[in-house]
Amino acid sequence: MAMKRYSVFAIAKEAMSYHQGWERAWRAPAPKRKYDVVIVGAGGHGLATAYYLGKNYGITNVAIIEKGWLGGGNTGRNTTIIRSNYLQDPSAAIYEKARSLYETMSQDLNYNVMFSPRGLLMLGQTEHEVRGYKRTVYANNLQGVETRWIEPAEVKKLVPIINIDGPRYPVLGALYQARGGTARHDAVAWGYARACSAMGMDVIQQCEVTGVRSEGGKVVGIDTTKGAIDCDKLGLVVAGHSSVLAEMAGFRLPIESLALQALVSEPIKPCMDVVVMANTVHGYMSQSDKGEMVIGGGTDGFNNYTQRGSFHHIEETVRALIETFPMISRLKMLRQWGGIVDMTGDRSPLISKTPIDGIFVNCGWGTGGFKAIPGSGWAMAELMARGASPLAEEFSMYRFREGKFIDESVAAGVAH
Amino acid sequence: MSKAVSALEGVSHNGFVAVAEAGLRGMITLRGDLASAKMKKAVKAATGTAVPARRRIELNGDKAAAWMSPDELLILVPYADAVATVAALEAALAGEHHLAADVSDARAVFTVKGARAQEALMKLCPVDFNTLAEGEIRRTRAAQVACAFWKSAEDEFTLVSFRSVAGYVMGLLDVSARPGSELFPA
Amino acid sequence: MLTLECPCCGVKAEETELQAGGEAHLKRYGPGSSDEEFDGYMFSRKNPRGVHFERWRHAYGCGKWFLAARCTATLEVFGTYPAQSKEPPAELQAKIKAKRPGWEGWK
Repeated sequence: MAMKRYSVFAIAKEAMSYHQGWERAWRAPAPKRKYDVVIVGAGGHGLATAYYLGKNYGITNVAIIEKGWLGGGNTGRNTTIIRSNYLQDPSAAIYEKARSLYETMSQDLNYNVMFSPRGLLMLGQTEHEVRGYKRTVYANNLQGVETRWIEPAEVKKLVPIINIDGPRYPVLGALYQARGGTARHDAVAWGYARACSAMGMDVIQQCEVTGVRSEGGKVVGIDTTKGAIDCDKLGLVVAGHSSVLAEMAGFRLPIESLALQALVSEPIKPCMDVVVMANTVHGYMSQSDKGEMVIGGGTDGFNNYTQRGSFHHIEETVRALIETFPMISRLKMLRQWGGIVDMTGDRSPLISKTPIDGIFVNCGWGTGGFKAIPGSGWAMAELMARGASPLAEEFSMYRFREGKFIDESVAAGVAH
Repeated sequence: MSKAVSALEGVSHNGFVAVAEAGLRGMITLRGDLASAKMKKAVKAATGTAVPARRRIELNGDKAAAWMSPDELLILVPYADAVATVAALEAALAGEHHLAADVSDARAVFTVKGARAQEALMKLCPVDFNTLAEGEIRRTRAAQVACAFWKSAEDEFTLVSFRSVAGYVMGLLDVSARPGSELFPA
Repeated sequence: MLTLECPCCGVKAEETELQAGGEAHLKRYGPGSSDEEFDGYMFSRKNPRGVHFERWRHAYGCGKWFLAARCTATLEVFGTYPAQSKEPPAELQAKIKAKRPGWEGWK
């Protein structure tokens, strides 16, 4: 089951047979009757969880069950931002773990995820914001996360197309993470899926969970559209659909599922090589390798499973960015889409045991899941394999009962 | 005594319709049981009108009574009469749970006048003007601010907003009325 | 664009006039309740994919609160009803049941 390595030599070799020898990146097996571990959800987080179960703990008798196509949920719909400039220590730990894993992911997975540490700025456009982000910089420096505060002149140097003069929202400076940036979201899912498959794990697509079975408070297995599957441990990693799965298992979660939209402009020549988040005006932007301006903003307002939002939010997001990036007013929108984000009250995730022994949940990443994929998978794998994980400890679903919120509404930035 | 001024002191613009800040107007927020006998008498005394039905405005010259919510009316009187009207309302409603507050200086009033007055507002407000009834007052938003408007005369709408956003609203109306930006062919 | 008819003032308001207010019919717990009850009231939510009952406020209109029944999977609106209702009106429940035979009921 060894994975055929991608390399320049492989390309040369395959060229000899007109590239007809390339193997499928992952197998498409029928599900077995039982696995040691079943992960529901073949998005980035679910696949990363399975991958680290195999890589870190040698647990490979694993199935990853996906109701649609792998990576087709939020993993394929986000705006690809990677950063770790959060405020609280537990957040910094897991997001920085994730960011550092992104640094070597292409090599680790032997799959080009196009990690681009191009730099990320969070603009300070009011006095309050400036104070808030400076505080975050100090916290980051204590946490070992490399961010610094930069003045308007340096912002203008990094972002030539930016308007720092306002008048309503002048740029008073920015929090700058030089090793923040982007990666290709689909490739992250594909890279993990290929590696999981090569380890002998079964990625079962087009397979919807219809029931969760437990006996005496312990998990037994799941029912699916492809039959019943038993397991010793079950991980629910389905983002916006977490409440649906939790309901099947017999408990409720402190999350609400909302629509989050994003859009791209028509492709234009390279004009911006950093990611800029403008949280006061409520929008953020970067430029893709195809030349499109990738733009996102805040969530829609009400519970919504349609992956489709209302157009006035797009209007508001673009309007918000126009003073700061005047040139975008001339661009046409090419495409707009949405996902389902599961929001917690403190804007921090749930990586947690549940009321059912053997069932674990990883959700609540809200609008900030993509940047966390490798860290989230690492922590969830540790939690499932060993019953505890320092990275996940503070993100228990029971923290709300104890008032131990990890309030990251500020760091969540635009999408709070 | 200070000299009272309206929000924009009558600034006006002429586009495909005429938009203007309408100067000082007396406005009173009146909360209470709209069905009570005392309320009916109090409103009649203040404006000469009946208590308006749901979403209606009862116009009577330079006075009016408008329905704002199931327990709130907007009483319009000449600016100089507002203080005395509040006192009269409080006396008339004594004994009943009520609130009469002079909000004349907290508001700005605008007129939109012309054959295409409706079009200028259609661009700003998420309102189906085809189903707007005669004598209806519609609370809604104009772009990003709260407002209320009614048809005050043939070819004229009167619009009320908070005073703090008067400049913004004037800007909206001015731009909305720009010649060349009419919505429908003549 | 979601359109909800406000039962207080009768306006068919589009969502930009409204402010969402979360799940409806929550049982409120306060002092004297158990940790589990209070935690449940404060944080646990049904968050269903399907028929959902919610609180809304007519923020840019009459300002009053009301309740709405709609589907989170299709955005179909079944109806709106007064905020003081302890449960969705029987008529509305019957209407929903007729449209969604598999619906398990409002609780």
